[in-house]
Amino acid sequence: METLLNVGHGFGIALLPINLLYCFIGVFVGTLVGVLPGIGPISAMSLLLPITLSGTPESGIIMMAGIYYGSMYGGSTTSILVNIPGEAASVVTCIDGHQMAKQGRAGPALGISALGSFIAGTFALIALMLVAPSLASVAIAFGPAEYFSLMVLGLVVLTFLTQGSMAKALLMACIGIVLGLIGLDSITAQPRLTFGRLELIDGIGLVPVVMGLFGIAEVLINTEQLIKRDVINAKITQLLPNKADWKASAGPIGRGTILGFFLGILPGGGSVISSFASYALEKRLSKTPERFGNGAIEGVAGPEAANNAAAGGAFIPLMTLGIPPNVVMALLLGAFVVHGVQPGPLMITQNPGLFWGIVASMYIGNVMLLVLNLPLIGMWVQLLKLPYNILFPLIILFTIIGVYCSSNNVFDVYVMIAFGVIGYFMRKIGYEPAPLVLAFVLGPMLENNLRKSLILSQGDLWTFVERPISAVCLAIAVVLLVGPLLPSFRKKRELVALEEGA
Amino acid sequence: MTDQTNVKLRLNNSELWGGLIGLALGAFVVWSGLKLRLGTINDPGSGFVLFYTGLLMCVFAVTIIVAAATEGGPTFGSRWKDARWTKPLLVIASLIAFSFALNPLGFLLSTIPLMLLLLRLIDPVRWSLAIPIALLAPLGVWWVLKRLLLIQLPSGILEIG
Repeated sequence: METLLNVGHGFGIALLPINLLYCFIGVFVGTLVGVLPGIGPISAMSLLLPITLSGTPESGIIMMAGIYYGSMYGGSTTSILVNIPGEAASVVTCIDGHQMAKQGRAGPALGISALGSFIAGTFALIALMLVAPSLASVAIAFGPAEYFSLMVLGLVVLTFLTQGSMAKALLMACIGIVLGLIGLDSITAQPRLTFGRLELIDGIGLVPVVMGLFGIAEVLINTEQLIKRDVINAKITQLLPNKADWKASAGPIGRGTILGFFLGILPGGGSVISSFASYALEKRLSKTPERFGNGAIEGVAGPEAANNAAAGGAFIPLMTLGIPPNVVMALLLGAFVVHGVQPGPLMITQNPGLFWGIVASMYIGNVMLLVLNLPLIGMWVQLLKLPYNILFPLIILFTIIGVYCSSNNVFDVYVMIAFGVIGYFMRKIGYEPAPLVLAFVLGPMLENNLRKSLILSQGDLWTFVERPISAVCLAIAVVLLVGPLLPSFRKKRELVALEEGA
Repeated sequence: MTDQTNVKLRLNNSELWGGLIGLALGAFVVWSGLKLRLGTINDPGSGFVLFYTGLLMCVFAVTIIVAAATEGGPTFGSRWKDARWTKPLLVIASLIAFSFALNPLGFLLSTIPLMLLLLRLIDPVRWSLAIPIALLAPLGVWWVLKRLLLIQLPSGILEIG
């Protein structure tokens, strides 16, 4: 009953005209960046982060969240029609989605993708509503040792799932921690690694780092190749899947939803890993696995449901523990902090309007997305024809503006350009930026909790092992760190490794 | 990979250089941590986490170097094989030039040439389209920010914009 009252209160906030407008902008921009290959939700969220400063925290977070789950919807359109994933979570959708489009079944592929996403997104929200308050009440008992171990686990999981060498991913995470510690020490107020520059006293901003590593670097990488697009030109008709399509897709949507939701909660997990896991599961369960790769609708329905459910699940650790499980959530944490709100176990009780308003806005956002992605599909197809040689300079212009507006400081533009160049060379020699960004956000919190734990326990390192939650997190982290030394474990890691941790 | 693209202890092994840069950074972080005061285990100082993170960086960098020496790694050339490497280099050069010009010239006078350069450099857009876009996009953004949102953009020594 209390939950229903809270949801009602949330809808009261989410249905305010200004919040509806922000929600619409969020899901629209999310679909847009999902549709356009080369720009992901991370770039878009960092670009729009400064805009949220002018409104209330509710409006800002509603818009940012909308971009995230909106991009999950939009990403499938490009995968199905162009065979280029709009964003990382839609890589799997290319396999069967584009084959369906080639066979003249683009409509049902797009339809099942949007409807499956809607069902999964709605389930994830209901689960978020039920799980988050209970978990938050448990999380109140968490001490600095538990927080430290959870953050270590999050970083290790992300490095484990990052494509390529784990040593490289761990090195990136360490660099991220160091970058996060630049500026005044929160305990002693001593400047660290500032090289005498006043601009560095407050540390490096998240926006220029992310915009550089993901926005500018992405453009630089894309300029290397002549992007060719094989857009399906045939008119898209019959978007609603038929009875047989529904029969084939019901199981994959159900399984993908549950799998995606739980993988989304895990630190370091997220939409990408859940879509891959769902595809693998459906192929394994299928009586006709040979259809996969040749236009099986289950290969579209399962992963699309999974990545949307994961997007909802990822809000749980952020909202209840204040720990972002992936880079997108790290940006959302940045948005909370910019507005003076600290997500964590007390947020639901201290800021119920904010929490329930965001949850309610996601319901509304999911409905908006269904409208945007089904009847308006033609508009997105037209957008796919926008030439990249015009789009890329515009992206660079907007990143410059976005970074400048976030701080009114030209120094941040220099930082962004520097990180853009570093990010480009990093990617070229096989160093992924995702662990760096997550560690950059977690670094100060990780340090703070480590030092607090050591001070409270008077230097007794057993404090991390004596507390059960902390011990379990550290044990899993150790397994993931040592595991890749075993050949069979290493093979499994390579199978699930992601291109980007987002 | 062929012998041309996968080399062990050769100077053009990109993995080796990645590891060496990581090692240098790690050593610098260790040194910075030491300089900032480590403190004790029951009262960690400002350099405590930096020092140990730097040590971890060195360990991971050494692992990368050892792997590069024993298993080999791709050459720099192979990393850019079949890529139009001049394009990103030209974009980087334009961005660096822009960063030097932004403060003295101001937003408008530095962004309009940057846009024109990018529009012509990436995959050349015809002049009749490139010039209007290069002019209108920064002007539009400038107008929205300055007039509607009242955000002060750098106007440079000439105070234009």
